[in-house]
Amino acid sequence: MRATLDRIAAIVVKEFRHLGRDPRALLAVVITPVLQLLLFAYAVSFDVDHVPTIVVDLDHTTQSQDYLRQYQGSTFFTVVAEADDLAAIDQAFDLNQAHLAIVIEAGFGRQLAGGGTGEVAVLIDGAEPTSARISQAYTVAANQLYNQQLTRQWADAQGLDLSSLGMLEPRVRTWYNPERRSSDFLIPGLMVVIIAIVTVQQTAVTLVRERDLGTEEHLEVSPLRKGELMVAKLLPWTAIAFVDVAVIIGLGRWLFGVPLRGDLGTLALGSALFVFAALGLGLLVSAIAPTTDTANILALLIAFLPSFLLSGLAFPLDQIPTVLQWLSYAFPARFMVTISRVVFLKGGGFTQVWPELTALAGYAVAMITISSVLHGRRAGR
Amino acid sequence: MTQQHTERGGLAARFRREAPTTQAESELAISIHGLTKTFGDFTAVDGIDLDVPRGQVFGFLGPNGSGKTTTIRMLTGNLRPQGGRARVLGEDVIRHPDRVQRRIGYMSQKFSLFEDMTVDENLKFYAGVYDLSAEQFARQREYILAMADLTGREDELTRNLSVGWRQRLALGAATIHEPELLFLDEPTSGVDPVARRQFWDLLYELAGRGVTLFVTTHYMDEAAHCNRLAFIYRGRIIASGSPSEIRDEHFERRIFAISSADNEAALSWLEHADGISEAYLSGASLRAVMPASSALQPEQLAAALAAAGVPATVSATEPSIEDVFLSLVAQQR
Repeated sequence: MRATLDRIAAIVVKEFRHLGRDPRALLAVVITPVLQLLLFAYAVSFDVDHVPTIVVDLDHTTQSQDYLRQYQGSTFFTVVAEADDLAAIDQAFDLNQAHLAIVIEAGFGRQLAGGGTGEVAVLIDGAEPTSARISQAYTVAANQLYNQQLTRQWADAQGLDLSSLGMLEPRVRTWYNPERRSSDFLIPGLMVVIIAIVTVQQTAVTLVRERDLGTEEHLEVSPLRKGELMVAKLLPWTAIAFVDVAVIIGLGRWLFGVPLRGDLGTLALGSALFVFAALGLGLLVSAIAPTTDTANILALLIAFLPSFLLSGLAFPLDQIPTVLQWLSYAFPARFMVTISRVVFLKGGGFTQVWPELTALAGYAVAMITISSVLHGRRAGR
Repeated sequence: MTQQHTERGGLAARFRREAPTTQAESELAISIHGLTKTFGDFTAVDGIDLDVPRGQVFGFLGPNGSGKTTTIRMLTGNLRPQGGRARVLGEDVIRHPDRVQRRIGYMSQKFSLFEDMTVDENLKFYAGVYDLSAEQFARQREYILAMADLTGREDELTRNLSVGWRQRLALGAATIHEPELLFLDEPTSGVDPVARRQFWDLLYELAGRGVTLFVTTHYMDEAAHCNRLAFIYRGRIIASGSPSEIRDEHFERRIFAISSADNEAALSWLEHADGISEAYLSGASLRAVMPASSALQPEQLAAALAAAGVPATVSATEPSIEDVFLSLVAQQR
């Protein structure tokens, strides 16, 4: 037992020496996660407000001026230009100066005054679908509001009391993230991606490099057991992954104000299981990959892409094609993103996420078993 | 014994009762009978027999791909043979690699050093892997640094050492746990001749301390450094014994050394000449092999070469180990 611990310690010490001597690896596991977090959280924002808007008023009446006022006064829109012809819209869209155009036809004021329908054209730049969809929703809402205003004015003019008219008013309230801030939604998910990259990539590379160096042959001849080697190789990355988790939670909380409402213990358990699952994936890559370069690319492919695209981080999982939904179960990230969001935002704990925790545990056991078998077969014993 | 030659692997072989190690086997460093390893259709090692006495430098010679490394991997317990038995230091290494692993060392041409670590850190790492006590490590560290001539350079990164130093450090790392038997797989490949010479001196020193050395090489000139040799070719041992025994037993023919200004022209003439059974390049000169019954004299051959327009000096010579090996390979074809 003491010999086993000594052998494991020898390798752990060696792994940290490699890390200390390799500025790139150090950068990859310590600095990059922080950078990624800052970049993603600031740059990848799904918040849409102050939509740059160009207005073309071909009517020039008090009615059209009154209608346009609601765009000028709103924080959802910023009127960047007022023009008198339609060509200006093309130009503004092409130059990315505006993503929304409101066109009021001549005769708008006359139609309204005469009890007819005033026509307004709304043009949306669809190059960015998400913000286009949101712009559209804003515009529709703004116009409904204006319609209500018109109705009230008409009723007043007719001397009618609208309070006798039954009206419906939805009271919408957003739970868990009332301000619907992207960072609250992204950071718990980003934590998962970052852990996945650090652990899968590093474990994959660390074992393959040993093979490249020829040190694997030497270690095989030594009293070192395969299991001891694996444990010793995984320990340092487990520790580093936990440091990363702590740093990300800290940054999220103090820098971005992401609330941590739920049970920290559940989050820690989930992270531990996820780290083991990711290490298992890394081991699998190292068993398959013939060279360090292949291991690097393969690890990136199975660590980064699925955790980003198939985890519910970038796209809601019920919005992606069914085949991809199934595929998402093949990667541990989707379970962890759920756990992370439930704990961070919904204040959940073990009772809410035990199915995901179980799935992660199963995944970790399966991965580590499969890759150990593959490594054993590779050694030819 | 014969039945073991035909033995095949699989479950039956694993469950068969273990044959006890004989007295003779336990006195030998290595004792192999009928060892066989196949990869798919390819037979890498084809029922070889080998005895290596303790305290000797044993040369295991053969061209690349002839089965040298496969044999070593079976002897270190890393590869399971399909058949045969292998006793290493008196233990059945196929069944109980763990009983042997603490007592053997291994060094390959890749040197197995971590280049981003210092000399000291590399030694410390292997001391940890072999679980040496602090006193053992201190003693071995001092010995290895002196042996490799690295005293005072303990904190240098291995990357910055030249090949010769790294090779000696690798030997130190491989022997840090004072193994009784050391396997060296092509340890000198890619190393300059001076460093190779120094390295062999270190091997003799180890042998002098009672360590058995099992060295593979494809440098035939290194064969002369060994107490005993075995030639492996296409998975079979085609000759074994001391260098002089091998020369006497396997080379009954006559051999001339020929040097000419135009070796290529001389070689192509010799290849077609009557009475010459073989001709080949050996270093900077040529060798011509004739049957033992040949009465051809060096002067006659020189005259014939001159007449063919290739003036050359010809002298009778003793066959080198390389000559014997080439001749053996030619017979196998």
